[in-house]
Amino acid sequence: MAETINHLPSSMSNAINIQDLVVEFPGAHGGAVRALQGLSLSVAQGQVYGFLGPNGAGKTTTMHVLLGFIEATAGAARLFDEDVRQTIARRRIGYLPEHPDTYRFLTGRELLLMAGRLFGLSRTALNARTTELLALVGLETAADRRLATYSRGMLQRIGLAQALVNDPDLVILDEPASGFDPLGRIRIREIIVALRERGKTVFFSSHELSEVERVCDRVGILAAGRLVAEGRMAELVKAGESLEQYFIRVVS
Amino acid sequence: MIRILTLAWLVWLEMIRRKDIYVLLILLAAFLVTLMALNLFGLGQAVSYLKEIGLLLAWVCSWILAVSVSARQLPQEERQGTIFPLLAKPVSRAEVLLGKWLGAWVVTGAATLVFYVLLALMVALRGGGFGGVVLAQAWLLHLGLLAIITALGIAFSTRLHADAASALTYVVTLAAWLVMPRVPDLVLTARGVVQTGLMVIYYALPHLELFDLRRRLVYGWSPAPGAAVLLTLVYGLLMTAVFLTLGWLAYRNKRFTRGAML
Ligand SMILES: Nc1ncnc2c1ncn2[C@@H]1O[C@H](COP(=O)(O)OP(=O)(O)OP(=O)(O)O)[C@@H](O)[C@H]1O
Ligand SMILES: [Mg+2]
Repeated sequence: MAETINHLPSSMSNAINIQDLVVEFPGAHGGAVRALQGLSLSVAQGQVYGFLGPNGAGKTTTMHVLLGFIEATAGAARLFDEDVRQTIARRRIGYLPEHPDTYRFLTGRELLLMAGRLFGLSRTALNARTTELLALVGLETAADRRLATYSRGMLQRIGLAQALVNDPDLVILDEPASGFDPLGRIRIREIIVALRERGKTVFFSSHELSEVERVCDRVGILAAGRLVAEGRMAELVKAGESLEQYFIRVVS
Repeated sequence: MIRILTLAWLVWLEMIRRKDIYVLLILLAAFLVTLMALNLFGLGQAVSYLKEIGLLLAWVCSWILAVSVSARQLPQEERQGTIFPLLAKPVSRAEVLLGKWLGAWVVTGAATLVFYVLLALMVALRGGGFGGVVLAQAWLLHLGLLAIITALGIAFSTRLHADAASALTYVVTLAAWLVMPRVPDLVLTARGVVQTGLMVIYYALPHLELFDLRRRLVYGWSPAPGAAVLLTLVYGLLMTAVFLTLGWLAYRNKRFTRGAML
């Protein structure tokens, strides 16, 4: 089944499909906070999609719906044509959370092994994959240390590595660049570009607009739970305007 | 299955890398040694005294461990935010629940085995001994009991903080332990709604007293009939399944958002 899907041309099924999504949280005085107000969005396979918006716009909330952490109040969301409420929808996904929280009693290597086993990877495949990923994020020397001793940026790195353990077709990254040093940021950019070259889809939120400008094919800008701008990078920012200037114009 | 085992392995690994379990073990050993020292000063019936108090201590330690380990699993995942990368994998909520329960059960079951072995060693040092078969039966039934307790802890913690869930598990298990054996007498004297209520309690709450073979151990009685042990274990697993199912019903649609558990 997975094989056939993989061989479909990328236009046939989107990596992400979101239709009229509404998410409400209980608010103060019995009211409700509407984090998403009818969001519709689709991301084609093979794209690098920048998901932008001011603090509290609803970026993390959207990702949480996509990953099945919360069920939407209304609307539908699909990943590779599977309803996000199905466990199977997460088989081809990699996810880096907003906060680099992890099992602090494990070592970096153990965390990757654990993550790989949850995807049902075989032991030999997993050992090779683990070594490869540790090198990719530059953590070879810290691999056998407890995660409790990792710095914030190192936790972010190991988080990225565990997001890639199953060689996902869609990578969802919530502010991947935060916590990284300048070299780390370059590394992140290289990883994203490499993923795109292999036909993978990357959906990531970010406040680093200059980074976004460099790597994204498309961007969507969210404000107060609604999409206020969407399109190809080249179409949105024309005539000498930077993404930052554009962002400020549409958001305010 | 591999996912459930992986999650259980995680619980196990965390336990053996934390200090609590060793503290409990050392405390228990210290208590037992103190008891033995007391015996040296000439208390009568030295060995059965040691057996009785030692078993009580082992039971209390294992109870505390079962409640605290099980009730803490799910809330801790949320408080530390590790539930997010976990649920982003193709792991169902049912598998999370089962993996956590299995881990908590195996950890407490193994610790209980260590408690029993420790006690048997101490008793042997005093020149006494347990019947091997009865001791094995006692541990097996203890495992059945621990399955129920850890299932309760997991079920309560699907929607509560670790503190609240463990308090509730303590109260429910203690109530079941103390009240259930008395319910039949009460039913005879009660009438109407109270009687119905008592009947409901009698069948809904687990009969923890069934799992207790301590008197056989202390007085050196012969082993319990195998069929009875087996039936009790089946009953224990059935109760465990009921509580885990209730927990799953509460857990499957839970929204995981930041701050939900604060
Ligand atoms: N559990 C919750 N209860 C109530 N409101 C919530 C909850 N989670 C999120 N919200 C609200 O939903 C809105 C969107 O939050 P979200 O975390 O999706 O923003 P974001 O775009 O990721 O912001 P940031 O750039 O700061 O990460 C905010 O107003 C937030 O306060
Ligand atoms: Mg966010």
